Amino acid sequence: MKILVAVKQVAALDEDFQIRGDGRDVDADFLIRDLNEWDDFSLEEAVKIKEAAAEPVQVVVVCVGSEEADESLRKCLAKGADRAIRVWDAAVEGSDSIAIARILAAVAKREAPQMLFAGVQSSDQSFASTGIAAAALLGWPHAAVVSSLTYAPGAKSAVLRRELEGGLLQEVEIQCPAVLTIQLGINTPRYASLRSIKQAAAKPIEVWSLADVALGAGDVGEAGSLSRVRRMYIPQKGRAQLIDGDAAQQAARLAEIIREFKGAAA
Amino acid sequence: MSRFDAVTRILFEAFGAAEVRLFYVLGYTAIGIFFYGAYVQIRKYRRGAALELEGGLWGRVGGMLAQVLNHRTIDRRDRAAGNAHRLIFYGFMLLFAGTATITLEYDILEPLFGIRFWHGEFYLVFSLVLDVAGVALIAGLVFMMYRRGWMRLPKLDYARPDRSPGDPDFNRPQYRREDWAFLWGLLIIAGTGYVLEAARLVWLQGRAEVWDTRWWSPVGALLAEGMRALGLGAGAAGLLRHGLWWFHGVIALVLIALIPYTKVKHIFTAAASLMVRDPQAAQRLPRVADGQVEVGAAKITDFNWKQLLNLDACTKCGRCHEACPARAVGAPLSPRDVILSLREFAHATLESGAVPAAAELDVHGKGPGQVAMETLWSCRTCMACVEICPVAVEHVPIIVQMRRKLVEDGAMDPLLTKTLQTIHKTGNSFGESKRKRGAWSKGLPFPVKDARKEPVDVLWFVGDYASFDPRNQKVSQLFASLLREAGVDFGILYDGESNAGNDVRRVGEEGLYEVLAAANVNALSSASFKSVVTTDPHSFNTIRNEYPDFGGKYEIQHYTTLVRQLFAEKRLRVTHPLKYRVTFHDPCHLGRFNKGYDAPRELLALLGCELVEMGRCKANSFCCGAGGGRIWIPDPVGAEKPAQNRMKEAAAIPGLEVYVVSCPKDLTMFEDALKTTGNEGKFVVKELIELIREAIPARLAAEVPA
Repeated sequence: MKILVAVKQVAALDEDFQIRGDGRDVDADFLIRDLNEWDDFSLEEAVKIKEAAAEPVQVVVVCVGSEEADESLRKCLAKGADRAIRVWDAAVEGSDSIAIARILAAVAKREAPQMLFAGVQSSDQSFASTGIAAAALLGWPHAAVVSSLTYAPGAKSAVLRRELEGGLLQEVEIQCPAVLTIQLGINTPRYASLRSIKQAAAKPIEVWSLADVALGAGDVGEAGSLSRVRRMYIPQKGRAQLIDGDAAQQAARLAEIIREFKGAAA
Repeated sequence: MSRFDAVTRILFEAFGAAEVRLFYVLGYTAIGIFFYGAYVQIRKYRRGAALELEGGLWGRVGGMLAQVLNHRTIDRRDRAAGNAHRLIFYGFMLLFAGTATITLEYDILEPLFGIRFWHGEFYLVFSLVLDVAGVALIAGLVFMMYRRGWMRLPKLDYARPDRSPGDPDFNRPQYRREDWAFLWGLLIIAGTGYVLEAARLVWLQGRAEVWDTRWWSPVGALLAEGMRALGLGAGAAGLLRHGLWWFHGVIALVLIALIPYTKVKHIFTAAASLMVRDPQAAQRLPRVADGQVEVGAAKITDFNWKQLLNLDACTKCGRCHEACPARAVGAPLSPRDVILSLREFAHATLESGAVPAAAELDVHGKGPGQVAMETLWSCRTCMACVEICPVAVEHVPIIVQMRRKLVEDGAMDPLLTKTLQTIHKTGNSFGESKRKRGAWSKGLPFPVKDARKEPVDVLWFVGDYASFDPRNQKVSQLFASLLREAGVDFGILYDGESNAGNDVRRVGEEGLYEVLAAANVNALSSASFKSVVTTDPHSFNTIRNEYPDFGGKYEIQHYTTLVRQLFAEKRLRVTHPLKYRVTFHDPCHLGRFNKGYDAPRELLALLGCELVEMGRCKANSFCCGAGGGRIWIPDPVGAEKPAQNRMKEAAAIPGLEVYVVSCPKDLTMFEDALKTTGNEGKFVVKELIELIREAIPARLAAEVPA
């Protein structure tokens, strides 16, 4: 019995960041890496199922990413994942969410889990499509934005709840294996103490190449993607401005601005 | 030969051989019961984890003897109890020594070597000394009875803040019964001793060597005169003496037998605890050994033998209970009850022949003898309990070791979890970018040296609050301008600095502390400087006392001593004396932890301020509530906060103008408490640095922070 949990190491902006030379992303020097917040919840959900089960359940985390992601994978191992797989190849650079999903689906085929969990979205790219695309590629049923789950390992189906607009809840029965994208707040993720993370460093992280999942360079990266980022930029600031100074100075500046506008109109 | 040669102690006179034999049987039985009990206790301690003590044995013995004999630790904050205990202690010790010397002569020296010394003048002087000792003992006991029965001291109330009325261990009436039994037991032994002595005198009034020397036992003689006046004859007195002899003797033997099983054992456990005291118990928390899998205290056997001994040393005097800031504001924690709970737990699990299964040794929880996580998280690690304990119980390391287990299990407030993750990610508790750590210095009209790039005399370890908190940033700027004006060559580590880890360690996240300490030691080691200064007492404590365990030995001062030195060297001079009426709040980590009581007070005097001390000052300073990671855990809504409790104390000082602090966290905590207690406008909270800057206005515009 196995649950596969797809995780991602996301990037957060540091202070005073700069855009990369090619203008298509933020300069990596200004990014702080961490495990995607949603993935913390999907991993916790899998570990909770494992801990509540009578039979042995294996929780396997899988990540598409470079060596940098090992830090986040170690955190997952510290929190109770049994194995960690990282798939990487230089050719993966530039993949869109569908190409990443292709890799995840290939891993799922090889691992043959009863469930594939993913976060609803990643906090840096916000496509919210990787998990769902993997379901489509696998031909498995899927449910998005899951906020509650009842699932006994090995059961033919699971019952879950999804939050809809207007305070509605939808209860869904889904056939397994299935892909669920997990929403924040479904549980309370546990704390991984630094000691447990250090101890997890002894557990191996399996590094797979594209060949390990029977994919070629053409299936991933820009070649395997139907969309590409053209540029990333900071939009021009709006015309609002903050007037500094004491009340008299502020009033004077305000009068000046009004006069400028009037002048322009006249 | 003296004329008193025939004078001696009347021992077994008029006893039949069988009676004497019976007494010896009882005596050896009592001693046997005593030794068995002692064995069980020692076996219990040995079931704890191993611990190597630092320092030489003789130094420890000497220190312990000095403290036991001078009673200094018992005097503190309760002089009357100290004096009464002195009377009991010295009275008891003399009487015990007296009895022991009789045994020495009667059972050992005389039968084996024919040596007799227990007669003549020696006996008479001893008899006088013991009579006086008995008076001292009784006086002490009577005062203690008055204290327990009539003074109604809150610290002697065993009701627990971490239990509710109706819980089986809410107020532990068995302790109260034991306290009284102990006092009465000793009183009866002492009282019957005098009556026995008097009866013996009346009985042997015909014997000159007894009767003529009776005033060497003044209390006994006085009683004997009374008995005679009441018409007691020698024959009846003989019977009375015989009966009382047995009564007195048996109770004394019972007391000896019961020592290891009752609070009487504090005679030994308290002395032993003082002997193994760690002078840096709370200042420097224990390391976790490399490769140790289980972290923190989960089972009672995870505590080391010394900690198990500490539990038994507690005399329930309640001084820690009284000093604890968490207890004072109604939090479910009393350091006394943590110790007593664990003691009861150890008693229930570790005194039988075999140690129970691991599952029965779990000290965490809400059952009898267990400690709840709410209790452990209430602790501010302010060290008030450790500091005041007269018998060297070290509560804080016990609490932190239990917290280490809670952290490992993730059993903590979600906000604390978040903060620890933030510190791991960014190296600071504010979740700010590492790059922004030195940003406060941009507001200065002069550049602050980057100590990573050029050598400096003084390396300023700024700390999180002084770096990132907007209010404290202003103080940091003032301190920088002060250093510059005094011509101090200083620099900071900018983003090379991480949270010092003092509070992370006290939370119990030892792994994260190790990471932070290693990062800072690494950064400090790559810089070139002569000494370190910090405005943050928390950073000061851990760098000074704990970094040496991680390979970082530095000369470090809190800014108060550095500034005092600058004044002494005339590099700073007060030009505008302040006439404020102020009070000073000793930060836990500067005062109690590192004994830095004087420098801030001397500085206040130099500035011209009139210092009015609060009742709780110096060693008894009252924690602001932020320590031990509590600054990252919200206090319960509606309940009083320690800082508010403190503000009320300060507000009672007539005409107070400034509440002076010398710790960034104090500034944050007390400025908040000033508002929430409605004292805003009555007086202000200021960093000492702000007052210094006020008394020495910057000479040059170029030194005024923007």
